[in-house]
Amino acid sequence: MTEVSLLSLVKSYGGAPALRGISLSVGHGQFVSLLGPSGCGKSTTLRCIAGFEEVTDGRILFDGKDISRKLPEKRDIGMVFQSYALFPHLTVAQNLAFGLEMRKVPKAQIAERVARTLDLVQLTPYAERYPKALSGGQQQRVALGRALVIEPAILLLDEPLANLDAKLRDEMRGFIRDLQKRVGITTIYVTHDQNEAMTMSDLVVVMFDGAIAQAGTPEEIYNTPSTEAVARFVGNANILDLPAANPGAGTIDLTLPGGASLTIPAPEKPAARLGIMARPEQIALTGAGQGHLGGRVTRRLFGGGYIDYEIATDFGVLAVQTPANVLADEGQAVGLLLDPARLWPVARDAAA
Amino acid sequence: MRLAEALLALFRVLVYIFLLAPIAVVVLASFNAGNFLTFPPQGLSLRWFVTFLQNDVFIDAIVYSAVLAALATAVSLVIGTMAALYYVRHAGKEAETVRVLLLLPLILPEILTAIALLFFFYQIGVGLEHRIALFTGHVLMTLPFVFLNVTTSLQGRDEACELAARSLGASRMTAFRRVTLPLIAPGLATGGVFAFIISFDTFGISFILKGTGSAPLPIQLYDYLRFNFTPEAAAVSTVSIIFTLAAVVVADRLFGRKG
Repeated sequence: MTEVSLLSLVKSYGGAPALRGISLSVGHGQFVSLLGPSGCGKSTTLRCIAGFEEVTDGRILFDGKDISRKLPEKRDIGMVFQSYALFPHLTVAQNLAFGLEMRKVPKAQIAERVARTLDLVQLTPYAERYPKALSGGQQQRVALGRALVIEPAILLLDEPLANLDAKLRDEMRGFIRDLQKRVGITTIYVTHDQNEAMTMSDLVVVMFDGAIAQAGTPEEIYNTPSTEAVARFVGNANILDLPAANPGAGTIDLTLPGGASLTIPAPEKPAARLGIMARPEQIALTGAGQGHLGGRVTRRLFGGGYIDYEIATDFGVLAVQTPANVLADEGQAVGLLLDPARLWPVARDAAA
Repeated sequence: MRLAEALLALFRVLVYIFLLAPIAVVVLASFNAGNFLTFPPQGLSLRWFVTFLQNDVFIDAIVYSAVLAALATAVSLVIGTMAALYYVRHAGKEAETVRVLLLLPLILPEILTAIALLFFFYQIGVGLEHRIALFTGHVLMTLPFVFLNVTTSLQGRDEACELAARSLGASRMTAFRRVTLPLIAPGLATGGVFAFIISFDTFGISFILKGTGSAPLPIQLYDYLRFNFTPEAAAVSTVSIIFTLAAVVVADRLFGRKG
């Protein structure tokens, strides 16, 4: 197991830098996701760690040792690519054996370790097949097996589920998560899918525009995002412009329309403009004239176990998600009940 | 509908006749028993093949052409593959320029390339000594065929395969040998066969750059036909056609159905 530290990584291709000082530390056996929209630098960060890109500035440490100038083949990494990148001219077993051959592992040991890993990724019956003859999910598991059989210091995954259909993606998510815990390998996972990042990771790192916007546990990122952009990227968010008093004193007093006030925790860093975030499932519906805000249902979407409402209020249209048994008709006047403990102040985006 | 299909079939047959008839005529003429290159042949005989096999000039020319073609192909395979790798993986903005420059020998009239090389090699004081000019010409002529075929087989392939090999501990060279090379083998085979045939066949370059001494087969044949008109020339042609066909068949057997 290995600790990975990134110390102010900068990568520039001549123009605007692709990475603008990425600092991050990943603990032993942790599963860390780099999450962000395309072009945010998450894949570039991964390629720098793998050694496929040379860093312009900054350092990469594995267990305290600087490896940022080492060739990829000297870094002891296992990598899974979005396209899987299986060797089409080799069988599944030969694909797995490749890394061990490169490490000059004796033949008998190779056979044994390949067999053990095939068992781990549940592909023993397919050992002699060529990648072409496998389904997407099976190819994915070959790629995982090939990366793990060499028992690398760290495992890097670059959008490994992007090419799978939705059902298989859910299955593989659980499979990868279990496998990672069982093997206990330090893992860095790149994705643009906040659902994948949230469900699988110990630590989620949200990146925008070549920089880290926020790093934290999935709960921290979801419940206490630092900015409006993070709040919106990791889930649906209502941002309310509420008048706030004495920001920066540990708590904030909010004044609601109608005169009611709420006290919520203040952000660590004071922001120029604060918005108050309420997730759709953190707002409850109540009778008209009750609750903190009044509004009118403009749309109701039945989602099976829940219902998505859109409600027009003085603060614009708010998204509210309720259990399926809370019924209000489109056009009906309702009251909205906020949960003071779950409201969270975020820095509003400059553009907003 | 029926009529259209029938016409299309007829057209196909005519195209094949147009393409293959001259070859068939040459092959048939080589079995001529008479003293002159005529068609239809006057009686069947293998006498001109015997004459040819006893004629050191032609045997030398065939060996000379085969060795020249093999060497030119080998060099073209190396340079063409490197160029294709650069073009597909690294060229970036210059990609189109690189491609056009490499394909120039194919686009320009052969005679122009030959004359340019003639000037060049005299200018640098080498002239036509040691067959360097001739060899360079053949490499230039065959290079586009290797480049095009390897490029095609590379473009269908994922660069991630090479990166995956690197991440698994393979050096650049090992990754190329163990992963890239097997993936582009069909392109190399096709490009190689083309290169060999082009070099074996080419006339203009050889004619201008051959210098003194022994000459490649097409030149030798040309020289021969200027003063003689026996079926021996047809026999030589038949043998060289068999040579070419053999190269295609062997390459197809080895690499054709894979990938």
